[in-house]
Amino acid sequence: MSVAPLLEIDGLVVKYGPAVALDGVSLSLEAGERVALIGPNGAGKTSLLNGVCGLVKPAAGHVLLDGRDLTGRAPGEIVRAGLTQVPEGRQVFPTLPVEANLLLGAYGREFRHELVSATLRYIGRRGEISMRLERVYSLMPKLRELRERPAGRTSGGEQQMVAIGRALMAEPRLLAIDELSLGLAPLVVQDLSEFLLRLNEEEGVALLLVEQNAVLALELCSRAYVLEAGRLVLAGPSDELERNETVRSAYLGGGLEVADAESGTQTGLSS
Amino acid sequence: MREFLQLVVVGVSTGSAYALVGIGMVLIFRTTGIVNFAQGSFAVLGGLFMVELVDDIHGLLAGLVAVVLVALVGSLVGFVAVGFRHRTTPLASLIITLGIALLITSLNLLAFGDRPHTYPTIFDRAWDVGGVLVQPQYVLVVGVTLVAALLLTLGLQRTIAGQALVACADSRRAAELVGIDVRAVAVVAFAVSAGLSALGWVLLTPVDPVNYDSDVRIAINGFAAAAFGGLASIRLAYVGGLVLGIAQQLVVGYADKIPGLGQQARQYELAAALVIMLVLIGWRARHEVHE
Amino acid sequence: MTLRTPSPALVRLAGTLAAGSFAIWLSYQLSPGDRSLYTLMGLYAIVAIGLSLLIGFAGQISLGQGAFYALGAYTAGILTVGLDPDDRFLPEAGIDPALAVVAAPILTGLVAAVIGVPLLRLRGHYLAFATLALHLILLAAIFAQSRFTGGQDPGLAVIEPLEVFGWQITGVTGGTPRHTAIVWGLVLVTLLVALNLVGSRAGRALQAIATSERTAAAAGINVSAYKLRLFVLSAGLAGLAGALYAFMLQFLSPDAFGVFLSIQFVVMVAVGGLGSVYGAVAGAIAITWLEHELRELGARPSLLGFDLPDQAPQVFSVGVFAVILIVVILFFPRGLLPALGEGIRRLRSVRHAD
Repeated sequence: MSVAPLLEIDGLVVKYGPAVALDGVSLSLEAGERVALIGPNGAGKTSLLNGVCGLVKPAAGHVLLDGRDLTGRAPGEIVRAGLTQVPEGRQVFPTLPVEANLLLGAYGREFRHELVSATLRYIGRRGEISMRLERVYSLMPKLRELRERPAGRTSGGEQQMVAIGRALMAEPRLLAIDELSLGLAPLVVQDLSEFLLRLNEEEGVALLLVEQNAVLALELCSRAYVLEAGRLVLAGPSDELERNETVRSAYLGGGLEVADAESGTQTGLSS
Repeated sequence: MREFLQLVVVGVSTGSAYALVGIGMVLIFRTTGIVNFAQGSFAVLGGLFMVELVDDIHGLLAGLVAVVLVALVGSLVGFVAVGFRHRTTPLASLIITLGIALLITSLNLLAFGDRPHTYPTIFDRAWDVGGVLVQPQYVLVVGVTLVAALLLTLGLQRTIAGQALVACADSRRAAELVGIDVRAVAVVAFAVSAGLSALGWVLLTPVDPVNYDSDVRIAINGFAAAAFGGLASIRLAYVGGLVLGIAQQLVVGYADKIPGLGQQARQYELAAALVIMLVLIGWRARHEVHE
Repeated sequence: MTLRTPSPALVRLAGTLAAGSFAIWLSYQLSPGDRSLYTLMGLYAIVAIGLSLLIGFAGQISLGQGAFYALGAYTAGILTVGLDPDDRFLPEAGIDPALAVVAAPILTGLVAAVIGVPLLRLRGHYLAFATLALHLILLAAIFAQSRFTGGQDPGLAVIEPLEVFGWQITGVTGGTPRHTAIVWGLVLVTLLVALNLVGSRAGRALQAIATSERTAAAAGINVSAYKLRLFVLSAGLAGLAGALYAFMLQFLSPDAFGVFLSIQFVVMVAVGGLGSVYGAVAGAIAITWLEHELRELGARPSLLGFDLPDQAPQVFSVGVFAVILIVVILFFPRGLLPALGEGIRRLRSVRHAD
C-alpha cells in the first residue's frame, strides 16, 4: 500500500496565449525527497512552477498535493496546502525590513480572499508566528543580524536567505526553489545548498530544485528530471544522470573537454 | 506682500486637499498599477455626504461617517475596477474607473441636483495673523491633512496589513506567491484612498463648494499632485499638492494683471495644473526609462 | 478548372467599398431627423478611426479628442464668420466656408503638433490625464474668451451655407442629404487610408511600437516621430469632423463639446475593439445610437410608472452609458467586435467538426 506522493504533476500544459511553454509534463515527488528539474534557459521550468503555484492557470493537466487536486487554484491555497516557492531572482520586498519580509511569509498564509479577516487571524496566531520566526532565525542566524535592514540593501546571497526564510515562515512541507544559483558567487551557492541539505534532513522539508546549474542540482538532489522545450526528456536518479552521455555533454560540460570517464571527473561549471 | 501671503494661505489649504487626493492615487497606483479616474468622485462624495449629514449630526461625527461611507464606496469601486483575474488589464481598469466616475457623477446629479453645495465653516470669523486673514477652516484642513498623511505613512510601515500593501507595490508576483490575495489588497487600497480624498473635501467644502461635476477638476489636480512624485512617492505627492495649490491661487490672484487673458481668469486654474504637471513630468522623465 | 478564392485582403476591400457605397446611398433615403443622427454617426466614426489608430498603435490614450473636434468646429466657424467679433454681421467678413473646412483640420493638426511634442513624452496614464485637462482648458478658454468665441450665450452662429465651386453641400438650414453623403464618403476614405497605413511599412513600425517601445527604438524606429504623426493625424481627423459638424448644426456653444464627448470617443474605440478600424466605425455607430436612445428615454415624462426628474436625460444617457461601459470592459476587455468575431469563429469550427 503506497501513500500518495506529496506532489504529483500529471500532463501539465501551460500556455501563454497561443505559445505552448509546457507541453504535457508529469512528475512526482515524495515527502522529504530532494528532486531537481534541470534544463536550459526557456525550457519551461519557470512555467511549470507558475502553473503549480497558481500564478498561471494551466491549460490542461493536474497538480495534486497530498492527493488533493489543486490545479488552477489561487497561490494562497497552494501555500496553505504546504507548498511555497522561492522565486527566481529572489524577489524580496526591497523597501521593507528583513523581519517584515519574513513575517509577510506567515501573513500570506492567513489570506482567504479578504484582508481584514486575514489580519485578525494573523494577530490571533502572533504567538505561534513569533516562535516560527525564532526558528527561522536560528536556522539562518545571519538574518537575525539583518532584521532591521531594508531587504533591498542586502547582498544577493543574503536576499536569497531572506527569500528562503520568507518561504519557510509558512511552514511548508515542500519548498520549490527557482534558480537558486542565479547571480550568486559559487561560495555563497555552496553555503546555501549545504543549508538546504540540512533543512531537508533535519526539518523534513522536501525540495524541488529548478536549476540551470545542473552540477549543483545533481549534487544536491537524489533524483532529477530533464526538461527541454516544454517536454520531459529524461528522468532518473542523479548518479545515473551524471553518467548519461547526453546529459554530460549538454549540461555538465562534458563535450567541451575530454573528460576522464573512469575517474568520473566533473569538470567545468554550469552550462 | 500681504496679498501674496493671503493667496499662499488659501493655496496651502486647497493644496492640502489636493494632496490627499494625490496620495490616494499614488497608493492605488503603486499597489495595483491602476490609475483611478474616480478619485475625484470620492472627494465630491465626501463633500456632498458631509453637507447632508451636518444638518442632523454633530460636525465631527458627520465627518467621520461621511469618510467611512465613502471608504465603503471606494472598496466596492476597487472590487469592480480590479476586474477578473487574468482578464482585466490595467488599461481596462483605467476605463472602468472612468466609467465609475461617470456613474457616480450622474447619480450625484440625480440625488443632489445641479448647484453648488456647501455648509458653514467652523468659525464665522477669520483670524488676523499679522494682517493676513486666516480662516480657521483653512487651518483645520491643513492640520488634519498632515495628521492623516503621517498616520498613513506610519500604518504602511508598521502594521502588517500596511506592509502587505507595500509588498504588493514592491513586487506583486512575490506577494502573490507568498499567499497574499493581491485583489483583496487592492480593495483595501481603494477604500483607504477613497477615505483620504473624501476627508479632504469633507473639510474643504465650506470654502470650496462642490457640485455634482466637480470631480473632473479635482481628479486632474490630484493627479498632478501625484505626478509630482512620479506616481510613486506619497511624500512627494503631498508636496506636489501644496505646490499646486499655491501656484493655482497665485495664477488666479494675479491673472487679471496679465492682459488678454479674459475676464474669467478662474478658468485658467486648470491650465496652471497642466503646465506644472507637464513641466514636472518632463523634468522627471529625463531620468526615467521608458517602457 | 479550379476556382481561385480571392485573397482575404481583396475580399475585405470589396466588402468595405460595398458597405461604403451602401452608407452613402443611405444618406438619401432617411428622413431629416434620422439623417442628422446618421450624420453624427459618420462624423464620430471619422474621429474614432483616428483615435483607434492612436490607441491601438501608439498605445496612447487620448481623452482630448473632443477638444480637437471642438477646435475644428470653432476654427471653421470663426474663420467663416470673421475673426473680428464686431464685423461679423458684415457679409464680406470671414473666408469662404469651403476654405474654412480645409483650414480647420490643418490648424487643428498644427496645434496638436505643438502640444504633442511635450505631451507624448508622457506615459499612458499621464497622457490620459493631460489630454483630459487639455479638453477642459479649451472649454475654459472658449468660456473666458466669450467675446471672440461667442461663449455659451449667445454662442456662435454659423449660418453660411457650405459649397464647393458652386456645388452646394449644406443648405440654409444646415444638413442636407449631400452633406451626409459626403461625410460618409469621408468615412470610407479615412477607413481606406487607415487600412492602407496598417498594411504599410509605417504600419509595421507602428505595430512594433505598440508591442514594445523599447524594442522598437532599439531596432532603429523613431518612436517619438511616429507617435507624434499619429497624434497629429488623429487630431486632424477630429478637426475635420468638427468643421463639418459646424456647418450642419450652424450653431456652436461649449455645451455641445463637454468632456463626456472625449470619453465617448474612447468608449467607441474600446467597445469596437482596440486597434481595429472597422471596430471603431462600428463602435461609433453603436455608441451614438445608444446615447441617443438613452437620452430620448430620459426625456419622457415617466418610465415604467416612475416620474422622471428634470435631469433624467443626462442621468440616463451618462449613467446607463457608464454602466454599460463597465460591463462591456469587464466581460469583453478586447472589445465587443473581437468578442463577436470569436463567437462566430467558434460556431464555425463547431460546424466544421460535424
